[in-house]
Amino acid sequence: MSTLTSPDVGRRTTGRRGAVARVLAAPLVVAVLGLVTLLWLQSIELDSIEKRTLNTDYLVDRVREHLLLSLSAAALVALLAIPAGVLIHRTNSRVLRGVVLALANIGQATPAVGVVILLAIVWRTGFTTALVALVAYSFLPVLRNTLTGLAEVDPATREAARGMGMTRTQVLRRIELPLASPVILAGLRTSLVFAVGVATIATFINAGGLGDMIVNGLKLQRYPVLIVGAALVAGIAILIDWVAGLVEEYARPRGL
Amino acid sequence: MVVAIYATIVVQIELSVTRSADPVAVTGITKELDMTLVAAAADGLEGLDGMAEFLDRRSDDLTQMLVEHLAVVAVSVAVATVVGVALGLLVWDRPVGRSVTITTAAVILTIPSLALLAILSPLFGLGWGPSIVALVLYSLLPIVRNTVVGLREVPAPVLESARGMGMTRTGVLLRIQLPMAWPIILTGIRVATQLAIGIAAIGAYVAGPGLGQYIFRGLSSLGSRNALNYALSGTVGVVALALAADALFIVIARLTTPRGLRA
Repeated sequence: MSTLTSPDVGRRTTGRRGAVARVLAAPLVVAVLGLVTLLWLQSIELDSIEKRTLNTDYLVDRVREHLLLSLSAAALVALLAIPAGVLIHRTNSRVLRGVVLALANIGQATPAVGVVILLAIVWRTGFTTALVALVAYSFLPVLRNTLTGLAEVDPATREAARGMGMTRTQVLRRIELPLASPVILAGLRTSLVFAVGVATIATFINAGGLGDMIVNGLKLQRYPVLIVGAALVAGIAILIDWVAGLVEEYARPRGL
Repeated sequence: MVVAIYATIVVQIELSVTRSADPVAVTGITKELDMTLVAAAADGLEGLDGMAEFLDRRSDDLTQMLVEHLAVVAVSVAVATVVGVALGLLVWDRPVGRSVTITTAAVILTIPSLALLAILSPLFGLGWGPSIVALVLYSLLPIVRNTVVGLREVPAPVLESARGMGMTRTGVLLRIQLPMAWPIILTGIRVATQLAIGIAAIGAYVAGPGLGQYIFRGLSSLGSRNALNYALSGTVGVVALALAADALFIVIARLTTPRGLRA
């Protein structure tokens, strides 16, 4: 979860074979999961309600809604929270930093379902509300990681860059941001995976997505619908986390 | 606003806990603050929709949900701690086992909570069952990972001298490594608790216990006068619980950290 509380043991301690196994683990799990679900679906008889849901058109629509919601939320968070973090960092204000970090802790303690439902009550239901709730929910963790990443840059490095005649903006762009990028990216990855999960809840406020299948399956006692919906959402979350992990690894500056 | 005030107060409590010599006195203060804050929250929102009256009428209900929420989290995290630390002890020195265990736990944590709860409900019925199973599964990653990290970070010379004194491997593990790893393991348990408190709120959808019930009742009474009161009291309750639990863990950490390791 939190990239800050404890060191990531896997990355440091296993050899090359372990690394390969870890890279392949997630897609393998998803493939097995998908295969088992498919085989199971083949083996049972679907009734008319289940057939209405378990067809390609319906599934593609739900997946598209789900991805649209979670990916646009993550993109908005990246566009808003990282610049905000940079701005707060540049004010050099300890008070502001303290307030933001305290708020981020509260944000982490707030249940996502509460945020989504509260916003629906005070505003309205639908896709926009879900999007705003998702952005609001993921904003603080990314902001916090941006601040932490920038603050962790060694002052001596910053000093040296200034001494070489770089302007403050150059220091920020060429020294601070690249050095802080692993922490920032880790925050974005967490928020992206979270967005996929929280987008499931969007069904409660009529914003579509794969949560529809889970909720309908539960309400109508049609377990195939429920299980396919849950399996799809889990598969998407695992694959997105996997891709984000690869990007994270690839985007890490050479020297780090 | 109330939340912001709460934040600063909790931060101050955290600061004072790290300084204070008497942790018991501090928990007393936390409780008192809790009460005054609930009163303050009620006062501030009275203009909106009669929040004070709402809270007053439903205080028994709220208290019960608060206790249930705490209970389901406590049970789940306790089970996850036993399982997680045991798993950690088993795999910390085996590269393959370690990698498999941590990757599996990480994959589980990636699964959206509504999906996992929904899949578990045909197996475990509605109510406490799916909530507890899901919370245990989600809590495993931080606990296992921190156990492994903690056990591995004990300095080699310390292990060497323990072995040199004639301790067996098991002796070293239980009497040297585990106590030294404890602060890190405890951090894992703390993270798991925060996680579990939030996810338990969604458990209410499959008839699980806790404050999530009020959040969902707010949704189902959308448009009515009390919708906001329900959802807000449920959500703020969860936040307060999470912050109080976090403060409690700081106290526990102080009380249970071996003397020689205290900063």
